[in-house]
Amino acid sequence: MKRRILTTALACAMLLPCALPLAGCAAEKEEVLRVYNWEDYISTPSESEGGSEESDYVDLIAEFEREYEAQTGKPIRVEYSTFGTNENMYNELKINPGAYDLVCPSDYMIMKMIAEDMVEPFSEQFLTESNYAKYGSPYIRDLFKENGWAQYAVPYMWGTMGYVYNPELSETVEEDLSSWAGLWAEEYASVATIKDSVRDSYFLGVAYVYREELMQLQEEYGAAGMKLADENYAAFNAKVTEIMNRTDEATIEQTKDALLALKEHLYGFEVDSGKQDMVVGRISINFAWSGDAVYTMDDAEPYTDENGVYHDGIYLNYIVPQECSNIWFDGWVMPKGAQNTEAAEAFVDFLSRPENAVANMNYIGYTSSIAGDAVFDEMVDWYAEGEEGDTDENGAPLVPYDLNYFFDGTSDGAHADGDFIIYVSEESAKRQICAQYPTEEVIARSAIMQHFDDDTNAAVNEMWEEVKGLPIPIWAYIVIAAIAAAGIAIGLSYMYKGKRSEPKPKKGYRRVS
Amino acid sequence: MVRVHFSRRQLCIPYGLFLALFVVIPMLLILFYAFTEEIDGVLTFTFSNFLNFFTSTAKLSTLLMSFTVAIISTAICLAIAYPVAYILARSKLRRRNVLLMLFILPMWINFVLRITALRELLDLIGLLGTQNYLNTIIGMVYDFLPFMILPLYTTLEKLDESYLEAAADLGGNKFTVFTKVTFPLSMPGVISGITMVFMPSMTNYVVSDTLSNFNITILGKLIDQYFTTYDNWHMGSMISIILLVIIFVTMLATGGFKDDGREARGANLW
Repeated sequence: MKRRILTTALACAMLLPCALPLAGCAAEKEEVLRVYNWEDYISTPSESEGGSEESDYVDLIAEFEREYEAQTGKPIRVEYSTFGTNENMYNELKINPGAYDLVCPSDYMIMKMIAEDMVEPFSEQFLTESNYAKYGSPYIRDLFKENGWAQYAVPYMWGTMGYVYNPELSETVEEDLSSWAGLWAEEYASVATIKDSVRDSYFLGVAYVYREELMQLQEEYGAAGMKLADENYAAFNAKVTEIMNRTDEATIEQTKDALLALKEHLYGFEVDSGKQDMVVGRISINFAWSGDAVYTMDDAEPYTDENGVYHDGIYLNYIVPQECSNIWFDGWVMPKGAQNTEAAEAFVDFLSRPENAVANMNYIGYTSSIAGDAVFDEMVDWYAEGEEGDTDENGAPLVPYDLNYFFDGTSDGAHADGDFIIYVSEESAKRQICAQYPTEEVIARSAIMQHFDDDTNAAVNEMWEEVKGLPIPIWAYIVIAAIAAAGIAIGLSYMYKGKRSEPKPKKGYRRVS
Repeated sequence: MVRVHFSRRQLCIPYGLFLALFVVIPMLLILFYAFTEEIDGVLTFTFSNFLNFFTSTAKLSTLLMSFTVAIISTAICLAIAYPVAYILARSKLRRRNVLLMLFILPMWINFVLRITALRELLDLIGLLGTQNYLNTIIGMVYDFLPFMILPLYTTLEKLDESYLEAAADLGGNKFTVFTKVTFPLSMPGVISGITMVFMPSMTNYVVSDTLSNFNITILGKLIDQYFTTYDNWHMGSMISIILLVIIFVTMLATGGFKDDGREARGANLW
């Protein structure tokens, strides 16, 4: 009987998955676009945020649905779902190919997916005529072209990695943190967090290990004030990229030692709590993505609310250390098996319109790869403190912040090429704007972190596991030893007791229990 | 009126289904993943995950750390919970159920919220960021204490008063009565309390992550890492299996101890 129940149950269980798709395809009137994106990575205000009158957040998904129907006459519904890690997204696509029309992985995952032939190329028309073709930043577009991703991926957000820090921590903190190695000082480590993420922390470790070699390289190539148009930029950047992507055994070993040494005094690792911990002052240095850095600095600043009440705060800075940085980006790709590539392209085109890029930047805080007048004007609105020749409140002249490398050639006529310069005070130049848009010099010494192959991945993960799992404090061994000793003692005493209290029955008797 | 009659067998079907779908099949899947690996897109049978676990410094350290944290947390829970349960169960208070409720009440609040609150509290008293191990253990104890109190209370409450009176009549002082009668008879409660605290303290990585600022890794975290970031379900499944076996063995050991204890001590008692 038992067996029959089990087989019935199993049979039912097998039938269940077959029944599900039938229920799914009942009504198919409107078009569907299935988008798979990072959590909190598009401007879609919740009701509380969008409900109030003064809210300037735009619901881009609803907006797209309206516009698409108006333009094509076809109603469309965006099925929007989110993921937490690239690997989750990748597995989902592997298990269920064709489940999404548009996904937004990070750089290395895009490389992996292209290498594994998992993505559909964008149409020729999209690549030449879309808003992305018109307004995409020339720097980012070139980057994609050089690396051979241009056909398959459209960049969405991008940025660097660096330290967010409280400038009042010490007199020399800015100077100390102008090297990645600054964090290794005990006084800084004890008030700092780094990312609980293997790739980001590996990067940090490698930058520390090869810091001298990187600095020598800069001297060799004259990297101070380097422009992207300089002739030795390509060669220099290739060298930096090579160093930062080393994964040989010795590098991994040294990186492990470096990270373990750092961990000894480190306040901790973080996934998402670093921003809040910075704002409340629990920590004073955070190894962060530039987008998170902007968010943190915004949140920590003193401000006056709409009722005129002043809220105290701190001005935090962001710094990309001298040696190098990591250029990262997330981009849209259409996975193989996508059923509505037309709508997917329309969606990316929609998001690439500068006005919508601004809406996204407003909401998410990350930097869009889209340039154009609307974006630049918004940046001027956010950051500019005056015109050329003006002075700040202390009487010091404003400094030019040159964004031509990013915006050139994307204006509809409001700005001429070479005019994309924002004048800010020297203090402000170390804050949000440098996290939002790194200077050309920083870009020149920033490397893209490649996708590791499976064996390398395993080795790096193993290294990270050791960093996270070691060292074991001595008292832990003592506890284990004590427990083991107690266990043995109890066991022995029982054996002894058992012998004593249960003598063998005499001949001719049986023991009755 | 329609009379519906279910046989007992039919009444078992919902649970049978549940069992098959959410226990048996996932278990088989985990087993399958644990003993396979993917080579060039082909799944092949292998013991390498198993061997890898026991040759990797990182994994063995994590295992040791989880073990230590779990043992200490369980011991502290027992030390705190036993007196509480004992006093509650023995007391003549009319409203002792209300009192018991006070211990259970925190469980009604989502534990992530409680741990987040505890993080703030530990920060306030200056432990956060400096005492990672202590914080983790405090968190585990805080979180799992009710699971220790409840079974102890139920066993102690059911304890027949006349046993204790008999022991006292036969000349046992309070201490002897406790060590020879009360404690042995409460063993089932102790055992189930230990299993209910020990197992989750080996895996509840939300506590260790939040309160140690990710400085301490326990087995649950390792499993999570393999599934979500290292993208290696095979190793993740293997660690799950190993954890399962460890817990199973511990239960078997304590379970055997329980039966043994009941009989042997019962024999000693009378």
